[in-house]
Amino acid sequence: MSDTGSETEEATEHTALMDGHIAEARPDRVIAERIAKKRKTKPDNQRSYGSVDGVSGAASGSGGSTAPNAAPPPPPPEPQLEELELKYGARHVIKLFVPVTLCMLVVVATISSINFYSVKDVYLAYTPFHEESPYAVTKVWNALANSLILLSVIALMTVLLIVLYKKRCYKIIHGWLILSSLMLLFLFSYLYIEEALRAYNIPMDYITLLFGMWNFGVVGMIVIHWKGPLRLQQAYLIFIAALMALVFIKYLPEWTTWAVLAVISIWDLIAVLTPKGPLRILVETAQERNEPIFPALIYSSTVMYCLAATTTGGTEGGAETRPSSTGAAGRAGAAGAAGEPRARELRPLNPHGSRENETNEAAGAGGDAAGFDSAWRARAQQQRRLRVDTVERAEPPRYTTRIDRPNTAHAAPQPGADDEEKGVKLGLGDFIFYSVLVGKASSYGDWNTTLACFVAILIGLCLTLLLLAILKKALPALPISITFGLIFYFATRCVVKPFADALAAEQVFI
Amino acid sequence: MDLARLPNDKKLQLCRWYFKVGCLLLPFVWAVNAIWFFKEAFMKPPYDEQKQIKKYVLMSAVGAIAWVAVFAIWITVFQLQRVSWGATGDALSFIVPLGRA
Repeated sequence: MSDTGSETEEATEHTALMDGHIAEARPDRVIAERIAKKRKTKPDNQRSYGSVDGVSGAASGSGGSTAPNAAPPPPPPEPQLEELELKYGARHVIKLFVPVTLCMLVVVATISSINFYSVKDVYLAYTPFHEESPYAVTKVWNALANSLILLSVIALMTVLLIVLYKKRCYKIIHGWLILSSLMLLFLFSYLYIEEALRAYNIPMDYITLLFGMWNFGVVGMIVIHWKGPLRLQQAYLIFIAALMALVFIKYLPEWTTWAVLAVISIWDLIAVLTPKGPLRILVETAQERNEPIFPALIYSSTVMYCLAATTTGGTEGGAETRPSSTGAAGRAGAAGAAGEPRARELRPLNPHGSRENETNEAAGAGGDAAGFDSAWRARAQQQRRLRVDTVERAEPPRYTTRIDRPNTAHAAPQPGADDEEKGVKLGLGDFIFYSVLVGKASSYGDWNTTLACFVAILIGLCLTLLLLAILKKALPALPISITFGLIFYFATRCVVKPFADALAAEQVFI
Repeated sequence: MDLARLPNDKKLQLCRWYFKVGCLLLPFVWAVNAIWFFKEAFMKPPYDEQKQIKKYVLMSAVGAIAWVAVFAIWITVFQLQRVSWGATGDALSFIVPLGRA
């Protein structure tokens, strides 16, 4: 993990450069049309728009204004684009594997070394039935009732969040998020540290403890809600997710946990995919407003980029004419709305960064209002770029859709460039429930089942990302993974393990 | 947050902010500041604000190291002297390790 740090930093620098132009994540057809149109009108400057095939990174040098005589490449055929997306996707799959694995690792390590989290004594208030009956039927009934209660609480909260978001009560939402992260960072980590120290028998005094907690918590708050190094933010988010998963494992009754997992993944399916699903509304509203979703809710694999998947074409009419609402661009955008549809651009997640960037853009390419299209802007930016960095060769502006390839060709860091980023994002909730599944499986002390669940979840994640590359819209990450996880868990536990035990007992392996 | 894309004056501002916040008994913030801005301060080609960033990075690093030293000393002293401090020592203890059979 540690040695990938520098690589990723480099990667973000690279993307800083090439993302200036690929802000639009439109359907491929639209891109192709635009390319065709542009080529007709401005063949000289725009000819590199279709050069998506510079995958290997070596191709980038030939583009841009350094070689203006190069023949225009053919417009990118759709299958090629898709193939590219899948390739980029593969890298992002790996990028998500690492944090998901780390999160699970923290949970599993904690569960197997600290007894506290697998002992059942107290339960959450939301689960009033404690499964104390010896009868399986009653237990099942209890578990279902508990999980439905929990689900309705979650649904209620989600709807509340959506309503607040729709009404633009950002202060309240931020307050809520800050409060909950405060609780996790201070209260739950206090409990965690106490149990960890007790389990490992490490002496500790109050002064050091308080000092450490204060530092840990405050840095966490700064990094999550304000500005901080990306690595640290990711680490904190992973830790928070792991803590939350541990809380679920500890405070949910045995069977309820499994029921909750099943119910939640169905809920995820409904909330993301149905036309009026709350999460879908959240995503679409955020995209319409060109805003990030709150950083405390989402893990992103490089610097905050906005949603990996665009909405379906249906919202396009509404979205395009909408002026963006953040910061200075609210005004600039209002003027520019008539000229250039810009609502579908992906924005960086960080509100501060985004605001700067937007003023920047408004100032730098202020001609938006005058009806110039993005081609003009791209050209202007390219010139500006050439002025700014003399060392760097101009990168051909490219359109990639959705999933971005982080390590491209050479590039230089560039002050003042637009920092739009794209890639795959995973909600923290997904981290939490993946870890709950694996952690729960490991709490019975059987490593076979734990590993089976782990592999199943990663396969599910892979499939989800594959679907993301194909379908190109926001997808729920839980259903496939959790279904696989549950199947693998029960299959391993009920079939494979007895079988393996029998084999071992018969000494087949010897 | 990506430093490479921040304009220089914003970098300085951020670095200074981190340093100031670190003064509230937050050496971890200092440590983050020192590590985060290290490249900016020492590896980048010089620019106007770099000198000040360098200063803040150095101060943060020194501060963080000083705090680490202070706590190392405190923990050593506490663990060695806890028994002889009697009730005070017990009151200050969060976890007293159990003996093993």
